Amino acid sequence: MVWLAALTGAAHAQEVQIVSARPDSVSVTIYRDLFALVTETRTVDLPKGPVTLVFDGVVDSLIPQSAVIADTQRAVAESNFDFERLTPANLLRNSIGRNVTLTRTNRAIGKASQVSATLVAANRNGVVFRTLDGNEALLCSGIPEKLSFEALPDDLHATPRLSIRLASGAAGKRQVRVSYLAQGFAWSANYLGHMHADSMDLSGWITLGNLTGASLRGAEVQLVAGRLNLLDADEQRGTSTFGETQTFSTDEVLEAQRAERLLEMFEDLDSGDLDFEYFGGCYPLGTTSTRDAIGYIDSINAEDIGAFPDSNTAEALQRVTGVEGEMLDEVVVTGFRASMAVRENLADYQLYRLPVRTDLNARQTKQVAFLQKPGVKIDRFYGVRFAEDEEYPDGEGDSMATQVKIAWRNRTEDGLGEPLPSGIIRMFEDSGSGTVFAGDSHMSDSPVNAPMEIAIGWSPDLSVVVESAFDEPQPGPMTLLTRRAWMPLDLRIINAKPRPVVVEIRQGKLFYVFEDLQVTRASEPPKRKAGDYAWRLTVPANGEARLSYKVGGRLRDEDDF
Amino acid sequence: MRKISWWLTGLCSASVFAAGSEDRQLSLTIYNQNLALVEHIRPVTFTAGPQRIEFAGVSAQILPQTVSFAASNLELVEQNFDYDLLTPAKLMEKAVGGKVRLVRTNPATGVETSETADVLSTTGGTVMRIGNRIEVLRDDNLPARVVFDKVPDNLRARPTLSVLVNSDKAVEQDVRLTYLTRGISWDADYVAVFDEPGGVLSMQGWITLMNRSGTTFANARTQLVAGDINVTDSEESWRQQQVASAQRNAGRETGSGVQLGDYYLYPLATRTTIANNQTKQVSFLDATAVRASKGYEVSFSRFFSSDEPVSAQVRIRFSNSRAGGLGEPLPAGVARVYARDSRGQPQFVGEDLLGHTSAGSDIALRIGDAFDVTVTPTVLQTTKVNKRVTEYQLSYLVRNARAEPVTLTVRQDGLMRVNEVRAESIVGRRTDADSFAWDIPVPANGENTLTFTLRQGW
Repeated sequence: MVWLAALTGAAHAQEVQIVSARPDSVSVTIYRDLFALVTETRTVDLPKGPVTLVFDGVVDSLIPQSAVIADTQRAVAESNFDFERLTPANLLRNSIGRNVTLTRTNRAIGKASQVSATLVAANRNGVVFRTLDGNEALLCSGIPEKLSFEALPDDLHATPRLSIRLASGAAGKRQVRVSYLAQGFAWSANYLGHMHADSMDLSGWITLGNLTGASLRGAEVQLVAGRLNLLDADEQRGTSTFGETQTFSTDEVLEAQRAERLLEMFEDLDSGDLDFEYFGGCYPLGTTSTRDAIGYIDSINAEDIGAFPDSNTAEALQRVTGVEGEMLDEVVVTGFRASMAVRENLADYQLYRLPVRTDLNARQTKQVAFLQKPGVKIDRFYGVRFAEDEEYPDGEGDSMATQVKIAWRNRTEDGLGEPLPSGIIRMFEDSGSGTVFAGDSHMSDSPVNAPMEIAIGWSPDLSVVVESAFDEPQPGPMTLLTRRAWMPLDLRIINAKPRPVVVEIRQGKLFYVFEDLQVTRASEPPKRKAGDYAWRLTVPANGEARLSYKVGGRLRDEDDF
Repeated sequence: MRKISWWLTGLCSASVFAAGSEDRQLSLTIYNQNLALVEHIRPVTFTAGPQRIEFAGVSAQILPQTVSFAASNLELVEQNFDYDLLTPAKLMEKAVGGKVRLVRTNPATGVETSETADVLSTTGGTVMRIGNRIEVLRDDNLPARVVFDKVPDNLRARPTLSVLVNSDKAVEQDVRLTYLTRGISWDADYVAVFDEPGGVLSMQGWITLMNRSGTTFANARTQLVAGDINVTDSEESWRQQQVASAQRNAGRETGSGVQLGDYYLYPLATRTTIANNQTKQVSFLDATAVRASKGYEVSFSRFFSSDEPVSAQVRIRFSNSRAGGLGEPLPAGVARVYARDSRGQPQFVGEDLLGHTSAGSDIALRIGDAFDVTVTPTVLQTTKVNKRVTEYQLSYLVRNARAEPVTLTVRQDGLMRVNEVRAESIVGRRTDADSFAWDIPVPANGENTLTFTLRQGW
């Protein structure tokens, strides 16, 4: 029976209960998928016998299955997470059969009379109670009525509670570590690049947010960059509530999924999707007059149920969370703070540690710098790509715009050599009239040594004009035999800038009717880049350059389709 | 016919007994599929003759068609599960044709006057006859309390199970009530702390019970059944077809647990109370030294070129065998993996689903994508060999930004029926009829490239 838990405690009615009100210290590790690992250290004074330890003040969005309680130095019989919340509905439901006090107030003379009652039924459709007079329905008479309760039912808690039952052991103080995953934390990375002729000053900022209602004081804060495997709550038997990370999704897709979940989270908060249900309802109260049956509506007002913590969800929400607009407004701050987040490796991810303990208050966002690299060597050029999923030349005179591209290699020799977590990079450039915004781009996770290339906009000054007369491959005399056909391309690259620039022309797979795509008769020999044929040409100031080649392949057999 | 009429007269005078909520014994057998078998053993006092017994405190999500009731010297006539909830509207509806008391309050003086009223109708509004007048209740919008002398027997505060029985004699005896209920389920949860340098995984297993049945089960003898039992019309049944991705080789060892038919049974050692809306965890596994290793894998099911590198998947591999430090069947659940940071604090690094895993199986938990180990795929050339066969030249550039050498397994999957590797820069292997795999060693902070030529067709 190795499977049996070591349960040695007596029936827990006799057990001592010890409440730990708050943690001594807390550490929060925020992940990109809107959750965090919260690790709390708590000091508890344990008696010798079996004991139930209650941890108050845990983050209420905690995922109970993930809770781990360590260093108790005793056998843990069981751990419990109670989320039977203290709400008006639950209070009523758990008081069925119990005695309550009913107070009726006469509006005109302001006289309140109290009568002892027993709760007979309470559900979504109303409340029935019994007094010495007989049975009556609550809030149906038109007289202001309220119920008051003698005591809170034991099994209702103001906030979700985490507790463990421990076997007996040595008495004394010890430090217990409580860790759990909790939803509602987020962080993102933002970069600022200040461009010069062939370098940029790169700085990185972390924006982190606590979207929960819990405030964590003096917390050690860490952030993890990387894509963790997470299970989907809807599809898996587990109770993890994250979305699934897809194998080959790009960072953009993940970012979009993340934004979607963030939005859902706010919608949940806004719609008041909490544990509240309203217990109201009466027997039919029609009227012979044509006016609305105001009596019915009148009898259910907030004043009457004012004895409950919150009479409606909107009110509760305002009081509890102060929901207001979007939380993670991006704030771009220029200039540097003295202290920067420090990076280390964690398994196969990157972990950033905030330099000092900080308060992470409810509904708060914070920014901290994590990267400052002046003089990163960059390659600035203009690019155009002909491929079936991008640009497609459609014959003579067609003029194509070029993308403004910036490339660098993430290595120490070039002034960088730091892992960069994915995020938005915003580029700035000096002009005669000051610093101007040059465009932005999404950047995926960039490990050390990897090349990076981003496109920050389109250039009006560099255009590529297609001079050739054809917009599809032309069969030649040998086509019947070889099944090969070619399209000649003559390109003229015009530079309107007063300085020479580099232009990259890429030829990708063009025609879905073709296989064995090849480039021949090029006026300059092509290089290969990610499977494409690529040329880099320098175009003189206010001048032009030319490139010609033939692209084509083998016609697909008809039965290939 | 005579018998039926005897019953009808019998029922009219049948006494009602509440069987109380005190169980002599409460047993729960909980399954993975949001299903539990509940057994109440309760002392009940019977009188001779027909009578109705009510059972309070049964699960609110009971499946009434599964109820079975057992007691000696009794004849079971029928069992009912009453959903007819007591509400103000129902109370008035059942009073139609009967009398209620109407207490009016003078709004100015607060003086109460009481009258008796006959309830005539409750459709749209409540119509009453008071003396020889017909009135609509609170037509004048002035306060008026309606007092009901009695709550009808068949209206209940909570859904209630009742049985009609005919007892041979007056006796107090135990009855056994069993039924299936929804709303209570269990899963296993694993906490695995991976010590990478030591090659050791410490693994704790927790049984997580979730009770959303609406009822608290007090002091219950509890046992859990691991295995995917067939549950008709369950939205979860599709999952039984799935094989969890983490398991690699099925095991052949027998665990030390109790077997129930083809499933494993985990009894909890002492009685426990499972409150409504409670998640309860009980430890069932604590293995501190499971030999484990980390591996990088990436699998491509097509040929493509990419500017952006693809991250390698990180997997933690271990064997659920006695020799490897475990050797117990693992019930299905979520395994959450932790690694220690530079200060020794465990940090969460990913989770994976573990299916029901027999002892001796090989397991590879996928924890996430490596930040520092990436592959950039490039199709160098495609060439039509003949009508049916095409040749692909591929290169996979693997970069490793970690401070130690790694080996990445690249798998080319989902190939056409005829397939063959013609040339390769690193010797690979055929993994099955439509896939090949290569183990690519990459030095610390370095890179390596696999190129191969593959023909496929039909």
